[in-house]
Amino acid sequence: MKVNFQAKKVLFIDLAHSSYEVKSFPDLVPFLGGVGVGLKLYELYAAQDPVIFSIGPLNGFFPFVSKTSIVLDNDGVVEDIYIGGSLSFRLAFSGVDAIVLLGKSAEPVTLDVIDDTASFDYDPANIFSLGLPGKKSTLVTQGSFVVLDNFFTTPLNILNAKFVQKNITGMVVTGSHSYSIDDMTRYAQAYREILGRNGELSVGMGSSPSCSGCPMGCDKSRVGEAGGNILSHCLVACDYAQSIYSDVNIVFSCLNVLGYDYRHEDLEQIPSLVEEVLKRL
Amino acid sequence: MAKVLKVRFPEECNGCELCVMEVQRQLGKVGLEGSPIRIFRNGNEFSVVIDPLAATLDITQLNKVCPKANFYFEEDSEGEFSS
Repeated sequence: MKVNFQAKKVLFIDLAHSSYEVKSFPDLVPFLGGVGVGLKLYELYAAQDPVIFSIGPLNGFFPFVSKTSIVLDNDGVVEDIYIGGSLSFRLAFSGVDAIVLLGKSAEPVTLDVIDDTASFDYDPANIFSLGLPGKKSTLVTQGSFVVLDNFFTTPLNILNAKFVQKNITGMVVTGSHSYSIDDMTRYAQAYREILGRNGELSVGMGSSPSCSGCPMGCDKSRVGEAGGNILSHCLVACDYAQSIYSDVNIVFSCLNVLGYDYRHEDLEQIPSLVEEVLKRL
Repeated sequence: MAKVLKVRFPEECNGCELCVMEVQRQLGKVGLEGSPIRIFRNGNEFSVVIDPLAATLDITQLNKVCPKANFYFEEDSEGEFSS
């Protein structure tokens, strides 16, 4: 399939009615992705207590862009937190830019998201058999945290509190699509150039499980992130790769290689766009 | 004799999936669908499953992206994958 440059595709899951819907949002393109898209969607659906998982246009396509943004309400305060692991890859290859969980389920439910569809499973014992092997991420409530792939989690336990409130026992996300890039040679060259800059990361090589798209296996990514550079979080790049992905020129080049027509000015305006949304929340 | 792509130290795989992305790029796509290399996760452990047809891949590039340079070709002396 081809990359969708014209709109952000969002999968809405209505927990109260066990239904889902896919919507296309051309107006979200200026927000780039990640926390920008997440906050704007939060503003639009605030009345339904949304939990928004979102990625940016480079997730799955470039190294170190390996986190997923989660925007949610925490006792009246809108929070943005970030989780590592394989979830951003699965979302990227599911063909959707964001998953929005709305309302509350009447009974404990596990969400089985395969590409742009969702099904509802009411037997918690099934969770590890849901999704497609090798192409899925599994989020499960364990103790006071939501744990991804039995290892990664978020810096605050507010996601778990929200899952409990909404009666969600887990969510499995499968991404089974592949994309074609018009100029594969240029893309491969850009990819290798970025990967070769791993010495600029603020973490060293470790022996922990890695996030998808990052070779480092650092011990810090286990517990996600909170706060940081807005452009980097709109992508949603790893915070430890901020020296690479907070550089507008690098981001512009990566987007351009994939075929996006963002201008430098568009990228420079993103922080103020996001701040305007934040002021309204 | 045919060549078979193998993993030298499967227990050292950290699940980064850079090898999956590399082989897919060599095949002209980005994504997980139809990849000759697949990584299966189970908490802190990973298994690497390789399609026998992966023998045509550029192993130099594969080892450049793998943090463990974990891939090698083995001659298929049994002729299992010879045609």
